[in-house]
Parts: sequence; structure tokens; C-alpha cells
Amino acid sequence: MAEDFKVIVFTLAHEEYGIEVDKVRTIERMTPVTRVPKTPAFVKGVINLRGVVVPVIDLRSRFGLQEAEATENSRIIIVAANELEVGFIVDSANDVIDLNTDMVENPPEVVGGIKAKYLSGVAKFGEDRLLILLNLSEVLNRSEIIQLEQFGA
Amino acid sequence: MEMNQYLSIFIDEANEHLQSLNENMLRLEQQPEDISIVQIIFRSAHTLKGMSASMGFEDLASLTHEMENVLDLVRNDKLKMNGHIFDTLFKCLDSLEGMVQDVVAGGTGSGDVKELVSQLKQIVKGEPAAPAAPGQPAAAAASSELALVAAHMLLDQYQLSVLRQSIENGSPAFHIEVTIREDCLLKGVRAYMVFDALERNGELVKSHPSVQEIEQEQFGHQFSVYYISRIPQQELQDTLDRISELESVMIIPLDVESLNELDASRSAEQQVQEASQQVAAATATAAPPAASAKSDKPPASEAPARAPTSAPVANKTIRVDIERLDSLMNLFSELLIDRVRLEQLASEVRRNDLTETVEHMARVSTDLQNIVLKLRMVPVDSVFNRFPRMVRDLAKSLGKKLDLVITGAETELDRTVIDEIGDPLVHLIRNSVDHGVETIEGRLEAGKPETGVVQLRAFHSGNHVFIEIEDDGRGINQPKVLDIAVKKGIVSPDEAKKLSDDEINMLLFAPGFSTADKISDISGRGVGLDVVKSKIESLGGVVSVTSRAGQGSKWSIQLPLTLSIITAMLVKLGSEKFAIPLSSIVETGIVKRSAIRELHGSKVTEYRKSIIPVLSLADVLDSPDYSDREETETEMLVIRKGEKLAAVLVDELIGQSEIVLKTLGKYLTNLDVISGATILGDGQVALIVDPNALIK
Repeated sequence: MAEDFKVIVFTLAHEEYGIEVDKVRTIERMTPVTRVPKTPAFVKGVINLRGVVVPVIDLRSRFGLQEAEATENSRIIIVAANELEVGFIVDSANDVIDLNTDMVENPPEVVGGIKAKYLSGVAKFGEDRLLILLNLSEVLNRSEIIQLEQFGA
Repeated sequence: MEMNQYLSIFIDEANEHLQSLNENMLRLEQQPEDISIVQIIFRSAHTLKGMSASMGFEDLASLTHEMENVLDLVRNDKLKMNGHIFDTLFKCLDSLEGMVQDVVAGGTGSGDVKELVSQLKQIVKGEPAAPAAPGQPAAAAASSELALVAAHMLLDQYQLSVLRQSIENGSPAFHIEVTIREDCLLKGVRAYMVFDALERNGELVKSHPSVQEIEQEQFGHQFSVYYISRIPQQELQDTLDRISELESVMIIPLDVESLNELDASRSAEQQVQEASQQVAAATATAAPPAASAKSDKPPASEAPARAPTSAPVANKTIRVDIERLDSLMNLFSELLIDRVRLEQLASEVRRNDLTETVEHMARVSTDLQNIVLKLRMVPVDSVFNRFPRMVRDLAKSLGKKLDLVITGAETELDRTVIDEIGDPLVHLIRNSVDHGVETIEGRLEAGKPETGVVQLRAFHSGNHVFIEIEDDGRGINQPKVLDIAVKKGIVSPDEAKKLSDDEINMLLFAPGFSTADKISDISGRGVGLDVVKSKIESLGGVVSVTSRAGQGSKWSIQLPLTLSIITAMLVKLGSEKFAIPLSSIVETGIVKRSAIRELHGSKVTEYRKSIIPVLSLADVLDSPDYSDREETETEMLVIRKGEKLAAVLVDELIGQSEIVLKTLGKYLTNLDVISGATILGDGQVALIVDPNALIK
């Protein structure tokens, strides 16, 4: 039962990650972000996406990686999942590749410092390239935000 | 013929007619003598019959046809309404409603109407299936005895006393009925001759129709007058008989006794009028205080004036798909953002004709905005109007006596909220009727009047609309609530001891809670109040309950107007901009740092001779690059929440602006202080501060 699917490739701290293409609405260049107070640190705020206000989170800080200054290459990937629309700030996003479910293996406990529960698998492709596939529903899990809110309060 | 395209129109109109039938039947029950209401009911039933027949809904048509027969007899005074007829007609309405619902659900609109039809036929034949209610209202008895006293011929206090005095002084007073021959060509002239003869020999007290109407020939072939004569009856009869083309002249002498009778029926009529006023207040179209003030005046002169206000006004309307309104709203929001941007550009460019054009566009778009917003607003009446009937039926089935008093039905709410608020309200009202108001015996024991009162109120306050349901029943039994909550594991016994009264009341909204001693089919299956709560919260509202044991409870729902466009004050905190709804702002000003004092660890300042708390918006919002601490003078906003005031310190006031409300999306929720966001003219997102959350 091997199925083909396309993923958007983006980078975070020199690792390559993938999100299924049908979950991605658009990819935007960095725009000014309005800070929203009383939110977890990884929530950078909200942006104006052609008249719609969309929250954005910094994926580096969501995964507990070292935060970095935005660069020319920084992108905001707008994803839609669990009836939510959220922007991910990533280091760069510049590729779409075809994958096959056969190429995907279960993720190890920790990959590049990211807990396995945020990942849905690891795909090997090309010449020795590793692509880490995100488990979107877990990344967008709100219960964690609520816990953080309660912790903060 | 393809009927589908007409089906939605049929359903809309059928529902409207059913609603009008229900309302008017309730009104008629209060004032069974008012033939004009019967006329309205008859017309509605007639239209409904025609519509159903042409759409091929035979059962609907046949039932309405029989109803029409009964109503026809009533409006022609051949049949008196009684409890049995009312009940039968109400059952018919229910059955009609069922059939229309069936049509809505895609069914054939058929229903078993045989029994109702035969009941109606019996009524028409004059064979009451049940004995007619013996206790006819006083008004009915009085006016049927004295046949000549139709409602329109009632005399007011002044006219009565004139007649009484003249009888006491020995001049005879008469009630004269004149009938003109059918073939008379100039009946106005004949009538004029009668009046002329009368006026030469005495004084007219009252005439029906009025002299003016008669002169314009606006009458049938009959008119009647109250008259004080200077000549004896026989001479008067001769004088009038000499006028040709008159069919008959009936002169009935009046004495003090018959005047007293007239007076009695007048006050009976007044009672009916007052009853009708209560109904009017209940169906509430007019402002209630004005209506109650009117009841002091003699009603005779008012009866015709009031009738039109309660009659449905035929508006010229078209039906529009709500989705089109939504997209109109969205497009307008886009336009508004561009307008703000243009205004900003124009102020930078500083060219006169550009500025003028932009200003003109701003004015036009403000008008447009008002219209677009108004389009979506619907009076809560469209939800409230089904409750009088519901409460009547509930009260009957529970054997309770109940008045539902509706006020503020004209309060407007956004259409989307209106659509959703119906079910929670039904639930709360049922709850009040079933659990709140006691049985008749229970009320008498508690020393309360037999008839319980459930008040349904709607009113605006600030940016919110409040809907309150208040009953004068037994109130919430708090020990019992606690008991059950502990039993069901909603709270632990230890927690239970610490709860305040309000917190105990809120336990009612916990999932899986029911305090009813027995489960009735009306309310109290334990699924409910929690659903009500979550529904209201999903609309951005808040529900709460207050109660006093033995005196009743009050359920209060606070709903946002959900105006998608509001006027707000834009403020700056360092590099960040925030919007604060103008509706909560009382005043803006500057406060000296030295005027801010510490009181029990919290900051306060003096404002108009009272002490109000001071909040630093920068602290509340964790502003990264601004703090008011170092300033000697700080700009402030005074905001209000209900009775409470507070001063909010900000860096700089930018000015007021129309802003389009945007949600922050589902990802960011539970942000107390931030109620939403808006997009400013420069494309930046600014957050909207919720002033209600600032005042604790």
C-alpha cells in the first residue's frame, strides 16, 4: 500500500523538515508580527494575511530549539489543520518533493532535539538526505498551550 | 407545474401566518368580544387555506377550511367563543404547525386531521362536544344583555353624565336608530336631513358613525345616536317620520337605570381594554411605560386608536439570503480598511481636492456602514413571539397559572445571535415555569397570588444586550443543589463548604445536573443547563443566575452585540498600538504621577470627587518597551463597567477610529484582556483590549 504524496520542505537549525502539501495554505515572506500578551513564548503574535488575522508561532521555540533572528530566507508557512489556521516561522522554505509512504520510517525518540510525539516519521530520500515529517495535530495541540497558560498564571 | 421554486416562499409565509394566528388567538382569548381580532385571524386562515390548496397540501387546506367556517360564524356574531372552541382552534394550530414542519423537512405535509375537522364541524353545527365554559367574562355578559351597546356605541364618562343630568332635569334622552332604505340614492342627504331635524329640536350627544363619516356617506344604511330632546317622544317620531326614504326610525327612551347599565358595561369594557393592554405589553411592540400610563384615561375614545398599533403593519420587504448579507458585510469591512488607509495617505499628501474627496467618501461609507449593520439587526421579538403561546400551553399542562410579561422585544440583536439564542431561552423559560413557579396550592400556601409571573426582558447596556428571565417562584433550593452536586461528584464535600451563594447557583450549569424531584417531559432530564451555558458561551455571551429562596430566581444572559464594526480609541504603548472600544470610555485626560496614591497596596486616584483604581495598561499587557513609571504626567482613559470606573494609564492617545472586529482565530483563546484584533490603515494588526476584563 505505497502511496505517493508531496511535502513542503523547510529548514530549522540546519535540519530539513516536511509538511504534507495539502495541509499548507500558503508560504509568506516575513511580515511585521503584532505581539499578543499573555501567551506562551513560542506564540510570536498575529499577522495580517490579506485581511485575515492569523496567529504565528516560532517553530524553533515551539520545539525548544535556540531562537534565531529573522533573515532574508525566513518564511511563514500558513498551515490549516484541526480547523485551525496557524503560521509557522521557519528558517527557510524552498522545496516541494514527492515522497512515498514506503520511504517513511517511524521516528526515533529524539531527532535534532525534538520530541518524537511532534513527529510522524522520518523519510530518507535523494543521496543521504533525511526529512523529518511533522505531526501537525500534535504541534498544534492546544491542551499544551492551556497547560502552559495555567503554569504561567 | 414545478412547485419547488415556490416552496420556500410557501414555508416562510405559512410560518408567518401561523405565528400571526397564534398571537391573535392569544389576544382573542384575553378579549373574546373583539371582532376585529377575529377578522385578522379569519384573513390569516383564509390566506393559508388558499396557499396550501394551490400548493397541493390537501390536509392543510381542509383543516384551515373548517377553521375558517367556525371563524366565519364568530365574526358574524352567530357563535360565541368559549373555552372549548379556543382549545380546539389551538389544537388545529398545532396540527397545522406540525404539517408545515413536515413540509419543511421535505415531507408531503399530510397529517391526520379527521378528528379535528369533525370537532370543528360539530362546533359549526352548534353541538358543543364539551359543555361551554360557564364563567363568561363580565364584559361578555354585560354586553350581550344590552344588545344596543356595541363596543363602538359606548359612552365616555362625560357623555354619560350629560345624559344623566338632562334626564334628572326632566328633558327626555333617547337612543335613536335610523335605517335608510336600501334603494335610497343620496343616503348622505337623508342622513343630513335627520341630523338637521334633530339639531333643531335638541342636542346630539353621540352618533355612530360620526356625523362627519355620515356626511361623507361612509356608513351602511343604518346609524344610531344618543340624543337629548326638547320635545316629547311622539312629536320627535312624527318629525322624523316626515323625512322620506327612511326604512325605520326606532326611538328608545333612556332612563337613569339604563344609563347605569351602560356605565357598567363601559367599565367592563375598560377591563377588557386593560386586559388587552397587558397583552399588548406582553406582545410588546410599544414602549411599556407609555402604554401603562395610558390606561388611566377613559378607553372609549382610545379603542380605535390602539387597534392599529397592534395590527401587523404591512411592510414592503424583500427576502434576502443571509449569506449574501454576510458577504456584503465582509466586502464592506475590506472597504473600511482601505478607507482608513486612504485617509492616512490623504493627510500625508496634503492636496485639497484629494482630501475633500476622501472626506466625502468617508461620509458616504459611514452611512453605508450604518445601513449594512442595520440590515443584520433583527428585533428579539422574532424569538420572543413564540413564548406567550409556549408558556400558555406549559401552564395549562402543569395546572399552573402564569403570566408571561415581555419587555424590550424591540431590542435588536445581530441575526446570527438571534438564530442561536432561541433554544437556550426556551430551555430557561421552561425551567422557570416548571421548576421555578410553584403550583397554585403551593403559591397560596406561600402567601403569593395564584398567578405566577415570569418576566422576559431584553435591553441594551453598553456594548451588550442583556436578556433576563425572572420568575416569582420558589427560588433555588441551595442546600439541595449542594447535596446533589456532592452526590454526583461535581464537587467534593470539602469544596462544597467553601462555595459562595453565587458559586452554588452556578453548579446548576455543571454537566449532568438535575434537581427536579420528578422527571417531567418539560424540563429536567439533567441534560440542559450545561448545554445552555456552552451555547451562550459559544456566542461570546455569559449566563448567570441569582436567586432568593421563596422569592424567585433571575437568569441573566449577557450577549455581545457582535457588531462587526465598532468605534474605538487607538492608544499607543511605546511601539505597540491597541484599540479600546469607545463605548466603555467615559473620558480621556492627563493624570499627574503625584495624584496617584497607594491604598492598601493598590493604586488609586481621585476622579470627580470619588476614588477610582488606577491601572497601568503597560503592566497589564507586559509592554516590552514602555513603562509609565518614570513619567511625571501620564495620559489616561477613564473606563466604565456597569457602575465601576477605573483609570487606565497609556503612553499616548492616537485618536478614535472605526475598526473592523476580527477574531484571533481558534488557536489563541482564553486571552482575558484581549477580545480580538483589527487591521489598521497601515496594514498592521492592532489588538483590541477588553475594558470589562480590566475592571475586576
